[in-house]
Amino acid sequence: MFENIPILSLLILFPLVGAIAVFMMGRSPKASKYTALIFSAIPLALSILVLTQFSLNTGAEEYLGNFQFVEKYQWISFLGIDYHLGIDGISITMVLLSTLLVFLAVIFSWNVEDRLHQYMGLLLVLEVGILGVFMSLDYFVFYIFWEVVLIPMYFLIAIWGGSNRAYASIKFFIYTHVASLAMLLGIFALFFTTAPELQAQGLIATDAIGTFDMLLISEVAGNLGTALQFAIFGALFFGFIVKMPMVPFHTWLPDAHVQAPTAGSVLLAGLLLKMGSYGIIRICLPTLPDAAVDFQIIMVIIGVVSMIYGALASLAQTDLKKMVAYSSISHMGIVMLGIATLTELGIAAAVFQMFAHGLITAVLFMVCGMFQYGVGTREIPLLGGLAPKIPIISTVMMMGFMASLGLPGMVGFLAEFMVFTSTFDTWGLWVFVPVASVALTAAYYLWAMQRSIFGDLTDRVNLSRLRDAYWFETIPLVVLLGLIILFGIWPAYVLDLITPTIPLVFSGVI
Amino acid sequence: MTFAEYAWLIPILPLIAFVIIGLLGNRLFKKWDGGAPIAIGMAAISLILSLIVAYEALTGDGTPFVQSLEWVVVQGGDFAFTFNMGIYIDNLTALMLIVVSIVSTLVVIYSLGYMGEEGGRKRRYYAVISLFISVMLGLVLASNFLQMFIFWELVGLCSYLLIGFWNTRPSAASAAKKAFLVTRIGDIMFMAGLFILFVGFKGNLDFDYIFNNLDSFVGGDSLLTLSTLMLFGGAVGKSAQFPLHDWLPDAMEGPTTVSALIHAATMVKAGVYLVARSYPIMVKTPDTLMVVAIIGGFTALFAATMALNNTNIKRVLAYSTISQLGYMFLALGAGGYIFTKTLDPNVGYMSGAFHLMNHAFFKALLFLSAGAVIHAAHTEDMRLMGGLSKKMKITSLVMLIGCLSIAGIPPFSGFWSKDLILAAVYEGVSISPIFTVLYAMGLVTAFLTAFYMFRLWFMTFSGTPRDKKIHDHAHEAPASMWVPLAILALFAFGSGFAYLFGLNTAIVPYGVFSMEYASAGTLLVNMFTDSLTYASIIVAIIGIALAYLMYEKKTIDPARFTSGAVGGTLSNILLARYGFTKAYDWFGLRIVYGVAKVVDFIDRKIIDGLINGISAGLIRSGSFLRRAQTGFVQSYAAVVVAGVSLIVILLFLMGGVI
Repeated sequence: MFENIPILSLLILFPLVGAIAVFMMGRSPKASKYTALIFSAIPLALSILVLTQFSLNTGAEEYLGNFQFVEKYQWISFLGIDYHLGIDGISITMVLLSTLLVFLAVIFSWNVEDRLHQYMGLLLVLEVGILGVFMSLDYFVFYIFWEVVLIPMYFLIAIWGGSNRAYASIKFFIYTHVASLAMLLGIFALFFTTAPELQAQGLIATDAIGTFDMLLISEVAGNLGTALQFAIFGALFFGFIVKMPMVPFHTWLPDAHVQAPTAGSVLLAGLLLKMGSYGIIRICLPTLPDAAVDFQIIMVIIGVVSMIYGALASLAQTDLKKMVAYSSISHMGIVMLGIATLTELGIAAAVFQMFAHGLITAVLFMVCGMFQYGVGTREIPLLGGLAPKIPIISTVMMMGFMASLGLPGMVGFLAEFMVFTSTFDTWGLWVFVPVASVALTAAYYLWAMQRSIFGDLTDRVNLSRLRDAYWFETIPLVVLLGLIILFGIWPAYVLDLITPTIPLVFSGVI
Repeated sequence: MTFAEYAWLIPILPLIAFVIIGLLGNRLFKKWDGGAPIAIGMAAISLILSLIVAYEALTGDGTPFVQSLEWVVVQGGDFAFTFNMGIYIDNLTALMLIVVSIVSTLVVIYSLGYMGEEGGRKRRYYAVISLFISVMLGLVLASNFLQMFIFWELVGLCSYLLIGFWNTRPSAASAAKKAFLVTRIGDIMFMAGLFILFVGFKGNLDFDYIFNNLDSFVGGDSLLTLSTLMLFGGAVGKSAQFPLHDWLPDAMEGPTTVSALIHAATMVKAGVYLVARSYPIMVKTPDTLMVVAIIGGFTALFAATMALNNTNIKRVLAYSTISQLGYMFLALGAGGYIFTKTLDPNVGYMSGAFHLMNHAFFKALLFLSAGAVIHAAHTEDMRLMGGLSKKMKITSLVMLIGCLSIAGIPPFSGFWSKDLILAAVYEGVSISPIFTVLYAMGLVTAFLTAFYMFRLWFMTFSGTPRDKKIHDHAHEAPASMWVPLAILALFAFGSGFAYLFGLNTAIVPYGVFSMEYASAGTLLVNMFTDSLTYASIIVAIIGIALAYLMYEKKTIDPARFTSGAVGGTLSNILLARYGFTKAYDWFGLRIVYGVAKVVDFIDRKIIDGLINGISAGLIRSGSFLRRAQTGFVQSYAAVVVAGVSLIVILLFLMGGVI
């Protein structure tokens, strides 16, 4: 149906055009938000259209042939840079998540007053970058989009952030930039070192310097020297785990979240963190499978430490949003653990967990936002007994927390269960260590609920301006919770997209 | 099998009630009692269907009915992990279906009266209780371990929501959290057991598959033992066995209907059901069965002691529940262990499941009667009651039936199953001295049970009123409450006779062993020619007599046992629940939260301190950070250029090496 339509490019183009249009609507904020709504709805519709045309089984036997809707145009030919997009089962899951979350974030931001048009514009620019990251098949294009994501998020925190926004935004910027630098090192190293082999195999012209094509590089990178592979893997890996973020490179995240406006937090936790794990899955593992095996022990340690450490840190927080931020670290640790198993089950579960966490954490940050504006504070010790006063917010909070602690019937459970099963399959009874975080997770969520919405009504905050959710807050939450339950009851809708891709992408590792 | 094809409707119907009541607004239900008619209607229809399905199963040849569909399949190396959803109906399922659907229907009807004054909160109550009925029935019907676990967690959620029903009460909110977290410890063990089974049975968790392919387990005997031990760990949490028992007394913060349904008759039985369900695996791992028996026997005695001097009517019943659940585990564990040694069929399995059923009826009856008393007296403190039998004739009578039943007086239902349990344990005396101890524990528990239950009855209903205001205010329960009580009383009286009419041969672990048919006469003769039977009857009578002397005749002053150095200390230890409450709190607050505080400190002071220190240093030296702050694009370009030049340098260096 789309043979002649560059639908992936359109997916990127629409939010870009929308962003430019919205930026120019400084005079009429109202028009700008409707424009943003439309231009975020179009990518969502397009991505669903892509889903309907997406074939679960391409018949491809290997990584190279498995991409669909591929667009490839020569761009800077003497450097081997192509404008190369394509999606497989892993990326389409992330693309759908992205278009959905941006659309809902736009709705949720309906009553932002300060510089609304710029706010909406930045959300759309963010969408451009994120979709680009999830669809690029060329390192250079990938890197550009990767960096594009940074800019709007920096401004979202720096302009609309809380009182300590300057510190948080700079910290965010420097952290991720240093990480990007490491990643760039890895990319250049791949570019130069794979060139001779590519030439020898006739995959690129003999006079070419090299190529940035991800798929071509993945064909030959496995032939590089062991030490070199290890070093390149390390550089890329470092870049990605800072983004996820994994302990001990995580401290930018709580600060960024605490300061970021709600929509920024939703997209930061829901999508930006996924870029890191996506990078590991898309680049590190298929390109450098031998190094992945060498890194397995590092990956599992980082993953498990992040799970436990993140959960314990969550337990100690008094700011609801900071607690949720640390819980993201803990839950991304599950993703890392799934990847580290280097099994089909584990990696499929990791991707599923990324998707699940995207939906769930969006709910959680929206809840935090509603506490901030509906109640006036997010400090748990100041809250209490609010359930009868703000029933919608409380119900959503409870459902979100339950989803996040891995309650069956909601999307997070099966992903966690699969990760743990493959952990046991790979490491046996060591599984008890990460599984302990399940109890900790329940502990901090239930304790937070007990102190904030149950018990005696608080007299420590001024409740005169107390309000329950507005319609534009309720709608995104209902959509998200509906999907959380739908995919909890029928996870095959998502897993069937992911699982056929796994053996093709990771044939070298698993 | 014809109706079994529709068994999936059994949990769906209450689920529909949940969705309707949950989604439609309060306004719609103002005249409709918060949706109670929908909840009752759906529960009743699923009760009828349950009874038909159960009848079909029990009259069939014992072959399980299995129906399942693929939920998720993930290729995992050399085999596929298959997650199924389905229905598994055998005689045990049938028994559970009968128990769960009867008790839940009666409890929902009873709620009409009991929850009548809750106003707008009623809708939430009926919604969640419908959800509970649905997921509990789903748990019972599950066709594989994972599905069972899923529903297992969901009944836990409902328990959480209903314990915390009066969520503006701090104690209720705290109790709900405690219940969820403590059972979660068990759930983790359950999960760990599933990992072992899942990998060991090559990606299949179906009961049907596992029970028929036990020898295909990959991983060896010790791993299999660990898996069953972990499954039992889940049961310990859910069924409130030592040492994860302390959440159940606190769970009494919920409405009494919830205590009756969830924390006495159904959900807490899920652990027993799990052990019974996995019996074919369990009998491959005798060590686990021994642990089951010991934990069960110990908990039975341990919990019964705490019921001795408690004055809160619901708490006494809660301890009693823990204790009776211990009996069930004792029966299952001892019977299974003895079977692994002798390979002769015994009544352990059957008596455990039998007691599960009888206990569900008489304990639901006891809780709901206590609810009627609380409803009338507006207090749970038995010291303020007394003399209520004149005002509440029906309630006092049905509760007396419940007490006689749990005390084990023939021919009330509790007598049959308790006697069979003790007989099953006694069979092991020749195998191991441990069984002598376990039998003694069981017998002492029987004595204590009879004592504390009649203490409860006498304190509540007989004698003179201790608080005139409460007594004057008290009234008999309305029909919506006493009719379910009367029906339950019939069951509490009569469900024991099922033993004489085929239960003996019907409730056997499928594929493990079967029991020979015996006529009612033979069973009766066997039972009443055994001196053990008289031993358990005699201890029960002594217990009742002691309670009578202490609380009715007052010839023995109860204060004699609680005064003095020894008595006082013992009494305080019991009231402090052997310190478990404090130990849990200490572990949660001091250990876990303490470590969390340390982690938080490390995070803020050490990791972040290091980062901020470095950046502060850089700012002072006037390079990096200030640049980054001065101009966005410049710094961006600078980093990229720096990156490229670094790469070039690196490549030059490596060019020399490679």
